[in-house]
Amino acid sequence: MLEEALGHLVRGIVDHPDDVDVRMRTNRRGRSLDVRVHPDDMGRVIGRGGRTATALRTVITALNDDRAVRIDFLDVAER
Amino acid sequence: MSDAVETVDTTDETRLTGAQLLEKEGDAAADYLEGLLDIADLDGDIDIDVEGNRAMVSVVEASAGELGHLVGDDGRVLDSLQELTRLAATRETGERSRLMLDVAGHRAARREQLVVIAKEAVAEAQRTAAPVRLDPMSPFERKVVHDAVAEAGLISESEGDEPARRVVIRTA
Repeated sequence: MLEEALGHLVRGIVDHPDDVDVRMRTNRRGRSLDVRVHPDDMGRVIGRGGRTATALRTVITALNDDRAVRIDFLDVAER
Repeated sequence: MSDAVETVDTTDETRLTGAQLLEKEGDAAADYLEGLLDIADLDGDIDIDVEGNRAMVSVVEASAGELGHLVGDDGRVLDSLQELTRLAATRETGERSRLMLDVAGHRAARREQLVVIAKEAVAEAQRTAAPVRLDPMSPFERKVVHDAVAEAGLISESEGDEPARRVVIRTA
């Protein structure tokens, strides 16, 4: 559900919604979400002073019953 | 954020009137929030209203406490969700959104509390004829207090820097 929720929140605020890809990764330290967006949308999802990225993390943490989830923002070209 | 505006055609024929803009803004906000509620399997009804010249979007709980997570401590999650909803509405309309979001009546309840706080401060300022300084508040909260003070015929201003900015009430 978290991937889907984050994908929805990000697709709604970018210029290239079709390029948005969200994947959950599980590693030793727990779960994290990788969000890939079009390079032109990177500034949009980070926001001034990281404001939008913080808002996304706050809402996703709330939907995860207040357990913090790591979210990494990457552009589609990054692997 | 300014590049969103550049891509939108703002010639006279396509420019929306104030009312059309608020409607489009409210609809975009409702779509965005409904999608989120669906995915998170949360029940809530969305009301759209206009207050002053601002769109007011409220997510109303179907059962008490269901949307508590979306409010968070001191409305922190609500503020984040409002920020994202404004960005979504801005993308749809091409005009910077200033919509107010409420979830589960959190802002409405806080507004009532603030009006009481403002009235008490007004009474104190009148009794002592000295300025009354309130606790630091968010921009939304200060606006509610300023409005209540003005209605009582007194003067108020904000002082200090965020997040410690607070309202000061004076009799003259």
